[in-house]
Amino acid sequence: MLEAKQLSKTYQGKEALKPTSFTVNKGDIFCLLGANGAGKTTTINLFLNFIQPSRGQALIGEKDVVKEPIETKKLLTYIPENLMLYPNLSGLENLEYFSGLANKKYPKEEFLKFLAEAGLQADAHDKRISTYSKGMRQKVGIALALAKDAQVLLLDEPTSGLDPKASNEFSELLTKLSKKGVATLMATHDLFRAKETGTHIGMMREGNLVEQLTTDQINHTDLEKLYLKHMN
Amino acid sequence: MYVLIAKQFIRSKVVQLSLLLLLALGIMSVLIGKQFLQKQERTLANVTQHQQAHIARNVELHREIGLLLYYLRFTLIDKPDRIAGLSIGQRDVNPSVQSVTIRTLEAQLHDTDLNNPSNLQSGNLDLGFVIIYLFPLVVIAFLFNLLSEEKEAGTWRLIAVQSNSTLRFLWMKLSVRILLTYCMLGGILLLAYLILSLPVNRQLIAFILVAILYTTFWFAFCFWVVSFQRNSSFNALTLLSAWLILAVLLPASVNNYVANLYPVPESLAAMVKQRERYHEKWDMDKKITMDKFYTHYPQFKKYGVPQETFNWTWYYAMQQMGDDESLKERMAMRAKIKQRENASRWLATVIPTMHTQLLFNDIARTSLSSHLQLLDQTIEFHERLRLYFYPKIFENAPVKSEDWKKFKPEYTRAENNINITFALLPLFLLTFGLASWGVFNFRKTNDA
Repeated sequence: MLEAKQLSKTYQGKEALKPTSFTVNKGDIFCLLGANGAGKTTTINLFLNFIQPSRGQALIGEKDVVKEPIETKKLLTYIPENLMLYPNLSGLENLEYFSGLANKKYPKEEFLKFLAEAGLQADAHDKRISTYSKGMRQKVGIALALAKDAQVLLLDEPTSGLDPKASNEFSELLTKLSKKGVATLMATHDLFRAKETGTHIGMMREGNLVEQLTTDQINHTDLEKLYLKHMN
Repeated sequence: MYVLIAKQFIRSKVVQLSLLLLLALGIMSVLIGKQFLQKQERTLANVTQHQQAHIARNVELHREIGLLLYYLRFTLIDKPDRIAGLSIGQRDVNPSVQSVTIRTLEAQLHDTDLNNPSNLQSGNLDLGFVIIYLFPLVVIAFLFNLLSEEKEAGTWRLIAVQSNSTLRFLWMKLSVRILLTYCMLGGILLLAYLILSLPVNRQLIAFILVAILYTTFWFAFCFWVVSFQRNSSFNALTLLSAWLILAVLLPASVNNYVANLYPVPESLAAMVKQRERYHEKWDMDKKITMDKFYTHYPQFKKYGVPQETFNWTWYYAMQQMGDDESLKERMAMRAKIKQRENASRWLATVIPTMHTQLLFNDIARTSLSSHLQLLDQTIEFHERLRLYFYPKIFENAPVKSEDWKKFKPEYTRAENNINITFALLPLFLLTFGLASWGVFNFRKTNDA
């Protein structure tokens, strides 16, 4: 569903991402691990078409994101580290607003169902976003993916700053989506969650994808050892 | 989608406050217009009454028609239209009523009403002012962060991912703001229509068209600035500076420039000459005065050169000389004023604020050119009175032989024949040019 083909990005002579290839299939949750500046966000931004690759291709549903930006955008939802919504609209209104931008129109009950499915408590649906916690806003992001019927989820450290319970709830939602066949690419620092939730792990260092493995190949302790080995 | 965008926009406190403020000022401006119209109406009612009483009293007092006409004033009125309440223009300084005796005209032509000078200095807060100066500020407040607020609040990335065309999204945001501003404009105009009981005619339609196009110009201008995609504070500062330049600096500069380009020393010269040429005649041989007078009006030659020390024919001939012998200077002065007016108008075509102000005044018949027309009509009116009364004075007709009741104030109307299409063209071209440039800027970066 998601494929990087010799994807690379150079900023003023500095290689932020060296030629990298990987694939995320339907139902996969591919976790990118690595220190700050390792190229995780660059990779995600390349798939979002926020920046153009210097070389190689980023494909979503076998389509090049640069050549067919509108078609590929239709397939994906993006949740950044801190999902910013309109503070003076309610959760429901924000969901309607951003779904409307993607030309997704549903009756109100459907939208409420998406919010409930994303785990947002019912009494918060009509409250303004300004009263929401970060975890609640991330849930609206998930509802947005549900409303868009997204097949690809691009996440940039979505659980950083969430308390363990909220973080756990978020991971459960990701698992739920992956069971529906959604391909997820997530940048994260959380080794524990990556092992628990992810199906695949990629480790990055200085723009290189230095390791790719499936989570069932490794246990928590070995994962941490491997990570530290690559980082040093 | 539009409903949600509108909701998101209107829930902002700044937006609510600026709309409320604009509405309050709009209503105030309409009430000021109403006050102006009421004052004018009172004046006109008084003038009519006063002229009747004034003539009746003097007719009782004076036995000689020559002496009577020394005192009698006749009134010419250019009644301001109701729409003058929307754009008072120069009607506050330049009177709508001209009251003249048949003596030397030039000295009477420039008499004005008494006005509170501090009110004149600050100008009138009429609806024209609200539209020209305050609406742009609201447009700026609505648009300066059209795009930058999304970028600064972090919602832009989500918008970029969700929407197929960010340009279309911006257009939706923009149209909600434009619509709201037009609603505000429409609401205030509707209030003005009701409060001032404006007749629906070409003037009103032209006023509305100009108001809409002028507001649209500001939308295009703000959109153009926004299209360079700088941050909010840069946009706000740029737009406010532009407002200051367009609304204050340029009109003041043009005024200064034109005043310096065409100085009018003739105004003093005309005044001095008009007085001198009348007064010197007292010490001159009557024949000199009478010869000149008969050259001007050969039809009165039969009244000859008077031999007595004082004679009304001679007196009015002397008065006439005040006008006749200052003609060159007076014409020069008028020509200069017209030159100033034309230069200002020409420069204003590229300064939308000034252009719109001139258009509003033209439409409401409150401009300088309307007043100049009234002066021309007063000259005609005065001449008509002279020609009517001269033979009666020269023949010393008995006062009672005249039906004085028939001298009621006369009404005239200075028509402004403005070609509205042509007048709107500069505004339209500027608006269209800026909007296209803005769209081009966005197209260029939207691909990235």
